[in-house]
Parts: sequence; structure tokens; C-alpha cells
Amino acid sequence: MKKEIIICRCEEVTEEEIVKVIKQGYTSLNEIKRILRCGMGHCQGRSCLPVIARLISKYNRKPLSEIRFPTSRPPLKPIALGILAQYHKSLDKNRNE
Amino acid sequence: MNKTADVIIIGAGIIGAATGYYLSKKRLKVYVFEKAFPCYGSTGRCIGGIRAQYAHPLSIQVMIESIKIFSTLRDELNRDVEWYQGGYLFLAHTEEKKRTYLEAIKLQKQFGLPVEFISPEECSRIVPGLNCEDLLGGSYSPYDGQANPFAVTYGYLEGIKKHRGKIFTYTEIKKINLTGEKVSSVVTDKNEEYFAPVIVNAAGPWAKKIGELVGLSLPIEPERHESLVTEACERLFDPMIVDYRPDGCYFVQNYKTGHFIGCYTPIPNDPGDHLDASSTFLTEMPRRMVRLLPKLRHLKVLRQWAGSYEMTPDGNPIVGATPIDGFYVSAGMCGHGFMFGPALGKLLADLITEGKSSISLEEFSYNRDFSRKELMK
Ligand SMILES: Cc1cc2nc3c(=O)[nH]c(=O)nc-3n(C[C@H](O)[C@H](O)[C@H](O)COP(=O)(O)OP(=O)(O)OC[C@H]3O[C@@H](n4cnc5c(N)ncnc54)[C@H](O)[C@@H]3O)c2cc1C
Repeated sequence: MKKEIIICRCEEVTEEEIVKVIKQGYTSLNEIKRILRCGMGHCQGRSCLPVIARLISKYNRKPLSEIRFPTSRPPLKPIALGILAQYHKSLDKNRNE
Repeated sequence: MNKTADVIIIGAGIIGAATGYYLSKKRLKVYVFEKAFPCYGSTGRCIGGIRAQYAHPLSIQVMIESIKIFSTLRDELNRDVEWYQGGYLFLAHTEEKKRTYLEAIKLQKQFGLPVEFISPEECSRIVPGLNCEDLLGGSYSPYDGQANPFAVTYGYLEGIKKHRGKIFTYTEIKKINLTGEKVSSVVTDKNEEYFAPVIVNAAGPWAKKIGELVGLSLPIEPERHESLVTEACERLFDPMIVDYRPDGCYFVQNYKTGHFIGCYTPIPNDPGDHLDASSTFLTEMPRRMVRLLPKLRHLKVLRQWAGSYEMTPDGNPIVGATPIDGFYVSAGMCGHGFMFGPALGKLLADLITEGKSSISLEEFSYNRDFSRKELMK
């Protein structure tokens, strides 16, 4: 039996699913992210996107250097709504001073 | 490769994808051109809300048709588009808002929508933990819902490919050629020419620029709207919550993944097609969310981003033919394009092939009087 290899741990996306989408003709990280959600979880793709880039490179014989990474989105580490909301108040106070 | 199609569509957002799909189902050969990747524009940046609660009769009619389509889209596209009829709850914190909603409800009921103005107690029954301070009640419809914009758009595009069509990604349209008063071809950034007697401008926030390529001045201006998504948690409630106070916000929990996704309308508006994310939003949006629902305070924000609302002077889209023969527009969606997409796609496909559609889009026409405003935008 073939072992299931999870590439995106946050969103539980397997290598098999990713290769299937690459073979359908989706060859950019930006598209694969939007189809499979890999890179949309807690780690923001830090661990999976480089691996997926290598898969794209392998299946399309495309140099790794040509594969563009999706935009990094703030906050780079998850922060609680309540903490951000308080930060807003302190920002406001600073502005008024 | 064959460089001639029946229809060329500019833009692979929901509008281009849906319009292309219904045209290709009518056996037309459709080429879609996208300067980046599908959903690069507003569609991939929206929060997936779908509602028929509008104050404009045509919008209500279009949305009843769209909701019909969304509810059968899984079978149509053979893909889980994550349609979920969780409803929409518009909160009224002022007498004026309440009156606006009550007026709209009268109209919505004429179209058979199950909308009611409910008390603050009922609001907090539907949304447990809702802060009812100053709340006068809400306009609630269980008929509204949510779906996944990526799944819907990619699903339609796959459908176009199955019907002989083609999607050209990372290919920007730079020029549109006319023969006499009629469109005849487009030229890409790779300097290739593709021919079709019909061209559809579905370029979203960039629709005005595409109009300029044929000398048409479309009153469509993008404005920046920001959004964020939180980590997932167990299901807390069903509907999209809309708080239209000047410092309100809208958000919904994805019924499938459990993430909360939301945004607000900045005051003053933020014109232009810039898509940078601001620290103001990253702190202001959480404040507004936590004020409405204090128990969300422990949920963590994963990501923030920005997208465009494509605004017209009256808050309604521009859909249909133009003075340039063969040149159609479907743009200026004013923040409603995802939900309008399926119905407008179907109706425009009928308009292009048969010269008329089952719901008349006359009021969304290019040369209408733009002074009547949509009140629930
Ligand atoms: C934060 C936010 C929240 C929203 N929430 C909702 C919601 O809950 N419900 C809802 O219905 N709507 C919502 N919207 C609005 C909705 O996202 C848009 O109205 C809709 O996506 C517009 O779709 P479109 O296909 O017209 O445009 P787009 O999705 O922008 O597609 C246009 C495409 O055209 C391409 N393009 C442009 N110029 C060219 C060119 N020269 N050559 C080739 N391609 C080109 C672009 O790259 C782009 O991909 C929201 C928007 C934002 C920003």
C-alpha cells in the first residue's frame, strides 16, 4: 500500500492531491494555493510552499528559480483578535498625544 | 494553434468565468484571457457572501436567480462549491436604518423572500453572544448564504475547457482592434493576435482601462477594501452579520472550515487600485468584530489582504451591449460581483446569443441614468 504523504500539514493536503492538480495544468503556487488551500493555514505556507515549488519544478521541468511565491500576508504569526483590538486603542492614544 | 474564437473574454474572475461557461454551454468557442491567474482580482479577495436582501428590484430578481444557480452548482460543475444557506442578518442600530430595512423588506416580500425584521432577542438567539447594546433589531433572511469563490470560479473555468474553450493565464490584453465600428481581435502582451466577433470586458477593477482600448468611457472606479481571516473554531452561528454603522463591519464563519472571514467599508473611501494591506485595518477590524461578539477575542487572525470594490455612480453594475458593435461589458459590480456572477453570466450569455434575457438587464445598461442609488450596498 502506498503511504499518504501530507505536504501541507495545516490544511492536510497530500502530495497526491497536489500532483493531480499540477497534472491538470495548474503550474503556479498562486493557483495551487487557491485550489487546495495549501499555505492558507496557521504557518502561512512556510513549510509546504517550498516543497510544492519543487514538485512543480519536477513535473514541469521548470527551474525552481522561475517559480514565484505568493505574497506573504500579515500578521506573519497568528495574533488574537482581542490583542489586536487593544493595540488599536493604544495606537489611537499615541496619535492623539 | 487556432487563433479564432466565437467569444473572447477579458478577465478570469467570477464574471468572466461564469459568462464564459454559459456561452460555452451554448456551444460557442470561448477564449478567456487573464493577465495573472484566475481569481487574482477581486474575486479571490472577497468574503463569499451571497444575499437577495437588496433595495433595488432588479438586484433582488438577479439574486433570486443566482441563489437558484448556487444551490445546484455542485451538480452542474461536479465540484463542491461550498454553497451553504446560512442566511444574512443586517443589524439596525438607528431608527433610520430600521426604517430603510423595513421599506426594503416590503419590496423583498413582493418577490416572495422569507425576510423578517426580528427583535434584538431573536438576533441574539440566532447569533449567541451578540452584543445587543443599542440594537433595535435586524433584517434577517435564511434564504441568503455563502460559497467558496475559488471553487466556483475554477469550476466554471474547468467547464469552459471541457466545452472546447481555452484559458490563457499570465496573458494581458493590450489592444483591441476594430474593423469599422465592430470589434474584431485582441492583441496580448506577447504580441499575439486572437480573433472573435464578440469581446466581453470582465476585467473587474480594470474594466475602465479595457473600455478605453475601444474609446469607451465607463464610469467604474476601484476602491480599496481590506479583509482578514481568523483561525478556525467550532461552528458558533450561521448567518453573515452585517453591521452598517460608520464603524461597523461584516463577517461570516465558513460553515465548512470554521474560519471567520470579514471586512468593512472604510470611511472616507479609499480610491485607486492599490492593494496594500494596512495596520489600521489589522487593529480596527478586530476591535469592531470583538465589540459585536466579545467571545471572538481569543480567536487568532491568520491573514489580512486588500481587494477592490469596483464602484459605479449608483452602486449597480454595468452589464450588456455598448455602442461598439460586439463589445459587451459586465463590470462595476460594487462589492456584489461574486454573488451576482452566476446569474449575470447566464443572462449575459442569453443576451449575446439571443439578443434578450429572461430578466431584462435594461436598468444595468451602459447608458442608464446613474442618479438612483442602491440603499443596501
Ligand atoms: C474585501 C472584499 C469583500 C467582498 N465581499 C463580497 C461578498 O461577500 N459577496 C460578493 O458578491 N462580492 C464581494 N466582493 C466583491 C467581489 O469580489 C467583486 O465584485 C467580484 O469579484 C468582481 O468580479 P469580476 O470578475 O468582475 O472581477 P475580478 O475578480 O477582479 O476579475 C477581473 C480579472 O481581470 C483580469 N484583467 C484585468 N485587466 C486585464 C487585461 N488587460 N488582460 C487580461 N486580464 C485582465 C484581472 O487580473 C482579474 O483577474 C468583495 C470584494 C472585496 C474586495
